[in-house]
Amino acid sequence: MKILIAGGSKSGKSDYAQTMALQLAGPGRRFYVATMIPFDGEDQARIASHRARRAGLGFETVEEPRHLLRCLENGPGAYLIDSVTALLTNALFPQEEDYRFCPKEGERCLSELLAFARRAEDGVFVMDFIFSDSGLYPPETEYFRRLLGTAGQRLAALCDTVLEASAGQIFIHKGALPK
Amino acid sequence: MVLIFGGAYQGKKDFVLAEFGLKKDDICVCSPESAPDLTKKCLASMENFVWYCLNQGVDEMNYFRCNSALLEDKIFIFRDIFCGVVPMSKEERAWREATGRAMQYLAGKADRVSRIFCGLEQRLK
Repeated sequence: MKILIAGGSKSGKSDYAQTMALQLAGPGRRFYVATMIPFDGEDQARIASHRARRAGLGFETVEEPRHLLRCLENGPGAYLIDSVTALLTNALFPQEEDYRFCPKEGERCLSELLAFARRAEDGVFVMDFIFSDSGLYPPETEYFRRLLGTAGQRLAALCDTVLEASAGQIFIHKGALPK
Repeated sequence: MVLIFGGAYQGKKDFVLAEFGLKKDDICVCSPESAPDLTKKCLASMENFVWYCLNQGVDEMNYFRCNSALLEDKIFIFRDIFCGVVPMSKEERAWREATGRAMQYLAGKADRVSRIFCGLEQRLK
């Protein structure tokens, strides 16, 4: 079963995604795919807080900031991808290119994400919802928003269940919650 | 009348094409520079139409009332521009407010109002 969960910042989507990944895994293996490349102390603190919240839950952490298909080498299990946003950001503005805008790598990463979503048996995809403001952004940022929006639409079509998180609550847009 | 809204890049136009069996040519994507083509079944990017009205000094509510017979069978698409911080510029603030008022007005008239989220419909009315 595959689940997409999207929501604003601090909407509770990561915690909820974690719970669902545990349900999908049952007694089997569960993988936390860590996508964030820490840029500064603020990122380090965010990583530490996410790590503390999943401590003792039996997640195996897989560091994979860009090439999702590689994760599948770990074998069957429930994969928690937190987050699609970080994954595409890492690709569109690669660290080794001094964070220069690389649309080709962004598109490649999106294709790989969708291939992963088709191949993985159980997965939970966490995505930030950043599409409902009136901001006028520079072309690179707008490209990023389009890439992430496309990822959301394509994942929603591929996933069995699509959820929106706000204030720690869940709205079901498609399918049902895992049993 | 149908009103569809949702965030940027959520697949609003694709939804309308599939749901109502329209062709791309049936959609007029509104521009801030020119008047919309009212012969089309669907008027998309209605937030741009509101920009057009602000630029031309046209009262959009009056426009809706004057063209009500032409508009009653339309499908309107608005981008949800309402959940961010208050814009810094006076023009953008006026645009956001006018767009929100226009959307509420048309949603009141519409038989069906839906929000599109990641390409999926959330029916509100």
